[in-house]
Amino acid sequence: MIKTFTHEKLLRYVYNELPAKEQQEVEQALVHDADLAATCADLLLAQRTLDGARCTPKQSTTNSILQYSRTFLKAG
Amino acid sequence: METMQPSDSALISLYIAGQEEAFAQLLERHKARVFTTIMLIVRDEDVAEDLLQDTFIKAIHTMKGGRYNEEGKFSSWICRIAHNLAIDCFRREKRSPLLNLDTTSHAFNSLSLAEEGAEAALTREETHARLRELIQELPAAQKEVLIMRHYGDMSFQEIADATGVSINTALGRMRYALINLRKKMAAQPVFYDQNVYPREATPVRVQRIAG
Repeated sequence: MIKTFTHEKLLRYVYNELPAKEQQEVEQALVHDADLAATCADLLLAQRTLDGARCTPKQSTTNSILQYSRTFLKAG
Repeated sequence: METMQPSDSALISLYIAGQEEAFAQLLERHKARVFTTIMLIVRDEDVAEDLLQDTFIKAIHTMKGGRYNEEGKFSSWICRIAHNLAIDCFRREKRSPLLNLDTTSHAFNSLSLAEEGAEAALTREETHARLRELIQELPAAQKEVLIMRHYGDMSFQEIADATGVSINTALGRMRYALINLRKKMAAQPVFYDQNVYPREATPVRVQRIAG
């Protein structure tokens, strides 16, 4: 019997939030269901694209935080 | 061979015991995620840098004050602090949505110019800046879930708890956030440039299944 999965369950799968048993079920279905695999691939591509929008702070900000931590230690 | 990285929990214990280097590792590990979460809400580089400091200062006080709760992930906890501070700031400032949005800002400096060539890096960075603009255009509830889940590393259940909705609602909002983003991106051919948004569905799928 072909088990169907909701889009919400696939979302939880690509974000590694499914319990192990359900994760296995999805992975087995991906092997046999091309449409499901394509939908999953789209989600993974979206994840990858969103990763590209990640940004980093200035080094000076990082240094200030580290300095604060060291100073806090001395004060404490 | 890949070296084993200490867990966040181990680093926190070492930091509380007085090892500053452990905190430096925690900061290095999480600063981009926290900064992105803040930046997507306040959209002002200087404000985001200040709020990043405020976020980690709160964390320092909590950890060194012996009040850190071991339950839950550090990444979710720190991003929740950042998110709350950013939302408070945004409401306080009542910023106009596009007032401080500088798409060419060098705040988004996560890519190495040296590695891929200046021109390609610039194109890629402009595209990522446009993506951040598109995220801003999402309905507020969808944007909130997307930021919390993708950049804040909060689980859908944690997001549901934090925003007072069911997990299915949180999942639904994420689903529509991705659908809407995809529509917006499809309307802009630059996102389908091979260098920016590779259409290589099969290798990605196989890689994930194998993993």
